[in-house]
Amino acid sequence: MPLPEGLYGLMAEFDSPSELVRAAKAARTAGYRRLDCYTPYPVEEAAEAIGFHRDEVSLVTLVGGLLGLAAMFGLETWIAVWAFPLNIAGRPYFSWPAFVVPAYEWTILWAGLSACFGMLALNGLPKPYHPVFNAPNFRDGATTNKFFLCLESTDPKFDAAETRGFLEAQSPVSVVEVEY
Amino acid sequence: MANGYFTKGLPSTLSAPAFVDKWRLRALIAGVVFSAIAVILAFLGEMQNGLGWLHLLRGWLEGFVACFGFCFGAMALLFVQYLSGGKWGLIVRRPLEAMTRTWPLIVLMFLPVGFFGASEGRLYIWAKYADWKDALAKGLITHDQAHAIQWKQPMLNVGNFWWVSLVCMGIFAMYCILLNKWSLKRDADPEPNVAYWRTRFENLSGFGVVLFAALLFVLVIYWVMSIDPTWYSTIYGFQYLVGEPFMVLPLAILTLLGLKKAEPIRSTFRTIEQHDLGKLCFALVMLNIYFAFGAFIIIWSGNSPEEIPWFLDRIRGGWGVIATLDVIFHWLIPFSLLLSRDLKRIPRKMAMACYVMIFAGFWDLFWLIEPSFKDAARNLQLTWGIFEYAAMPAAMFCFWLVYYFGQLKTRPLIATNDPHLAEILEHDYVHA
Repeated sequence: MPLPEGLYGLMAEFDSPSELVRAAKAARTAGYRRLDCYTPYPVEEAAEAIGFHRDEVSLVTLVGGLLGLAAMFGLETWIAVWAFPLNIAGRPYFSWPAFVVPAYEWTILWAGLSACFGMLALNGLPKPYHPVFNAPNFRDGATTNKFFLCLESTDPKFDAAETRGFLEAQSPVSVVEVEY
Repeated sequence: MANGYFTKGLPSTLSAPAFVDKWRLRALIAGVVFSAIAVILAFLGEMQNGLGWLHLLRGWLEGFVACFGFCFGAMALLFVQYLSGGKWGLIVRRPLEAMTRTWPLIVLMFLPVGFFGASEGRLYIWAKYADWKDALAKGLITHDQAHAIQWKQPMLNVGNFWWVSLVCMGIFAMYCILLNKWSLKRDADPEPNVAYWRTRFENLSGFGVVLFAALLFVLVIYWVMSIDPTWYSTIYGFQYLVGEPFMVLPLAILTLLGLKKAEPIRSTFRTIEQHDLGKLCFALVMLNIYFAFGAFIIIWSGNSPEEIPWFLDRIRGGWGVIATLDVIFHWLIPFSLLLSRDLKRIPRKMAMACYVMIFAGFWDLFWLIEPSFKDAARNLQLTWGIFEYAAMPAAMFCFWLVYYFGQLKTRPLIATNDPHLAEILEHDYVHA
């Protein structure tokens, strides 16, 4: 597949999350759909502003947690009832109260690992290259104190001049072109 | 990040909206209806097995312990929010303060427990059979019970029951009065004096929360645990310490959701705080099951004849159904509901979770109290009297609500002299 060339998008820089959220809402209202926000820390409202409602991480976490629960409870049952039955103070082999704590721990462990790796996988990470890093101001501020809104050129509504005008109307610190 | 452009400004009216009066009226009517049902049930129960009025008294004990939890559990949550800080504390502060101001009613509710339960010995066998030798000789109590009554007499006697209960409630009432008085004074302060007030409330709350935990332990030993004097558990008090906020916080959330229909709560109780309060509820659900299951598994593992009968009394003879439902109401349903992020942010669904939690609190008290009596241990009988555990606490809770809603109207619903005020006045999306 040939590498894409040309303009990736136009990126506006803001000083505060409030301004970013306002601009993102305006862009969404204006009809832009291929757009993204970049913030140094999670800003849930920014995600909502660009129409990002659900993600599958919670489902992956739930499935992982249930698998962990079933795996440990099954393992304990198998060991205690069939593989190595022991008479412990006359209790029944299937003593479920004793199985609860490890099963619970595995639920958490599997849910946590599923959430972490599920999130990375669904985010498409690790990603060694992304065009937005070509913008120098992005490299300087994206992980510290700057908030970015990028309108991508693949959007049918994208027009280099018109989109620039729209972004500048949102009173950003700057608007830069991002090359692939 | 108070930003003038996004701030909404304080609502013009801060007092409770008029429909709170409608809530009061509804609670009053429900209270009267439930009281009538409780009395009818007592007569029916008396005819059925002669336990009718006794069951009414037991139901009263449950209602009293629950209302005590609502009042002083709110005090404990006030302590916690002063110590932890945060926006969630500011928004629930006034409802919690209104709950704590109901303490005179709680003291009144205690009197029947003291008179009929302890002085007349109708609830506590250590009071009824203080002369354990005689009772043992007549075969009224078992050897184990006589032994427990004999050795616990320095603590479990009618005089101690009265003065410990009243002194402890007096100390709590003093804390409630101070919390309420200072909160008004703070609002009246012309200067913010943030550090001064914060330190003052922190000093009050820091010691208060420790004292409350310790004294609550003593009180629930007297009121509930000692119904069966043969049994003891060192985690018992902690279960109540979690069980009280478990009911108080949902009630505070329900109050706010109800008040959200009008100003001033409409523009100050934001989704973010609702979400935060939902997360705190979720933490309480987990902590509660942690203590409850911890107590169970330790006693189950020990399998000692001194401890295990307490659980057997509450599992065998039909009680297993109640115990299983207790786990479902107390943990499974609220856990499954509150696990979802979206649900915590949708008012209607969050309210559903809150109702379940409050109901579970009452259900749990039923399971803790009734099997302590020898006529009910390992023997759940669906008599008329059992339904006293629904009617009597419901009636008392309704009357308590009447008082609470009345108190809600006496003060502005938002404390204004607080550094978090600017934050809750911002729009939902600028919190970051």
